Amino acid sequence: MTRSQKAPAARPAAQAPAPAARPQRPSGFAQYKTLLGKDLRQEFRTKEMLVSMGIYAVLVIVVYGVALSFARPGGEFLEVSGGLLWALVVFTSLLGLGRSFAAEKENGCIEGLLLAPLDRGVVFLAKATSNLVFLLVVEVIAVPLFWFFFSSFAHPGASAPLMVAPLVVGSVGIAGVGTLLSTITANTRGKDVMLALLFVPVIFPLLYACVSATTAALVGGDALADVFGMSLALAAGYDVIMILASWVLYDFVVS
Amino acid sequence: MTKKTTKLPETGQWPDRVAPAVLVAGALLTTVGFLMAFLVVPPVGGAAVGGAELIGGSLISNKLLISQKIFFFHMPVAMVSFCALAFAAYYCVWFLVTREQRFDTCAKIAMEISLLFVVMTMITGEMWTRFEWGVWWTWEPRLTTYLVLMLIVIAYLVLRNMIDEPERRATFSAVIGIIAFVDVPICFMVTRLIPSSIHPVVVREGGMSPEMGLCVGVIMAGMLCVGFALYRLRFRQVRLEQRVEAVKELLED
Amino acid sequence: MDAAIEVRGLTKQFGGRRAVDDVSFALPRGAFLSVFGPNGAGKTTLLRMLATLTRPSAGDIRVGGVDAKEEPDAVRASVGLISHSAMLYPDLTAEENLLFYARLYGVPDPERRVLELLDAVGLRHRRLDRVRTFSRGMTQRVSIARALVNDPAVVLLDEPYSGLDPHAVEIFDELIGSVRAERTFVMVSHDLEKGRALADHVMVMARGRVVRFARADELDAEEFRALYRSTVGTGVA
Repeated sequence: MTRSQKAPAARPAAQAPAPAARPQRPSGFAQYKTLLGKDLRQEFRTKEMLVSMGIYAVLVIVVYGVALSFARPGGEFLEVSGGLLWALVVFTSLLGLGRSFAAEKENGCIEGLLLAPLDRGVVFLAKATSNLVFLLVVEVIAVPLFWFFFSSFAHPGASAPLMVAPLVVGSVGIAGVGTLLSTITANTRGKDVMLALLFVPVIFPLLYACVSATTAALVGGDALADVFGMSLALAAGYDVIMILASWVLYDFVVS
Repeated sequence: MTKKTTKLPETGQWPDRVAPAVLVAGALLTTVGFLMAFLVVPPVGGAAVGGAELIGGSLISNKLLISQKIFFFHMPVAMVSFCALAFAAYYCVWFLVTREQRFDTCAKIAMEISLLFVVMTMITGEMWTRFEWGVWWTWEPRLTTYLVLMLIVIAYLVLRNMIDEPERRATFSAVIGIIAFVDVPICFMVTRLIPSSIHPVVVREGGMSPEMGLCVGVIMAGMLCVGFALYRLRFRQVRLEQRVEAVKELLED
Repeated sequence: MDAAIEVRGLTKQFGGRRAVDDVSFALPRGAFLSVFGPNGAGKTTLLRMLATLTRPSAGDIRVGGVDAKEEPDAVRASVGLISHSAMLYPDLTAEENLLFYARLYGVPDPERRVLELLDAVGLRHRRLDRVRTFSRGMTQRVSIARALVNDPAVVLLDEPYSGLDPHAVEIFDELIGSVRAERTFVMVSHDLEKGRALADHVMVMARGRVVRFARADELDAEEFRALYRSTVGTGVA
């Protein structure tokens, strides 16, 4: 056992650099970019979350295939498909959200972040953004795949590309609220169940509006004119209110 | 009611002294409303059934009558449950501001009361749906909203069980309480405003007759009293438990 | 005189429980304080409050003359924490981890600073390897570099020895010795010998209260041992 009796004289390579170079607190935006870059780099290196979300999405589609194997193809399928698509998105995002905070907890990294002179709102925004990016990447793969497998059932109307709008608006809301909820549930027992239990009811209004808008886009015609704009506006309203609330409340959740 | 910013809610304060009386008053008012609903208030246009009729394969003489009467309970109960949620959210905010455990306790109990009334709302709502529309469940805006409300309240209470550390539990559940309070009205708006192509949009009664309004008002007052009294009684129980625990801990030291 | 750390009436309570109860002390610049006490004495809570990770219920903390309640970010900028969890992302390399923290703190010329630190902890040759592949001791060395990335005036150590083998402990002590100059240390440890060897100030806590706060050279070794045994011993049993 070494007993270096408080000997500051023994000083090898490590020299304290001149205290004149006190760190300047960087702007919130710079910190946001640093945090986001860290999340993206980590994920694109391991691809843990993306791969598991992608595989999960494919599996859900396979289950749909079984569930619908005795259904008669036809126009009615379009009315259901919007909902099916959103069920796919919700379950896949649940999986991703559950993991997004696990990485921060694993080595106590979240404390490392909180030690830095860093606005907690920035942490929230960065985490929400990275969740959004992962969710959108998975959707870009999963949605065409969904139509690849089910194109024999029905052909969506000409207005189908419009469903990109509810997908984006919905994903923003899911990422925002999901970030708050997954931060909470990362600290509880039974994380994944707890996340689902909180996530589904809280996200319900957004889901309802997004399914409505997506279905309208797929069916086209009168439904499009009647419902699409209103649903999308409500979904966007939900996003604004809930993300604002999550952003404000995030401070309490992390400290 | 129990809010005093300078003083923490505690057992033995004035609300506890009036709580039993309020409970009795609430029970009385509700009973009066109940009797009124059946004896005084005339059924709204055409809701009465003349004699027994065969409906849906069974002999029913008062189907619409009952659905009318249920409404007198359904609405007040639903209002009280939302009131309780609002109170819970109020205490959640206070908790986050002051970090005082008492407010956490208050919020938790308000949530429990809310759950109680939400369940009653769901039961009366189911009955109404069954009698009026012939199905047990439909995704009608109010029903849907209350289902979501019930799920969130349950999630809130489950969450409390999933966290051991008291301060963390209080903070997290306070956040969820506030989110619930923000979420539920949005849910109602969204389900209400988006026209559903699959289910008929139910247009509710155009307005209430004065007798009906009075009756609903009486029952509402009664239910509010009951809710408040239950809240105080439960609060007393929980607080006494907490104090016993504190004394025990002190003795252990 | 300006103390590096000044704590007055610090209390952390929730409900009836007081994790930290009316703690006051002042620590001069360059001091090394070891905090001892049984489990649940409030040592870690105290440290977390100093690190601004936990909000005190009452009382003041001043780090380098700056009030932690009024300017938490200024305090955070001048504090580093080494605990048993490394706070490193296992799938990023050592260099990426340090760069990440350096940018978060806004360290000028982060690349150069990170290389300096890696030199100091003797891991420059492993800088492009993922932290996941490191041994516990090496991870802890990177963790020290991480805590020093903002050149903190105050370094907090929370059970830094847990999980380290004797060799790693040796290196750890050497490293701490090498960065002692000008910095103020507060360490929470179960290791009585280690804690005593490094420290020039000693504090014993029990049930959230300060039982004894003294300079190490004023304290008789035997007396201290007896005190330690009576508080820590009874507290555990």
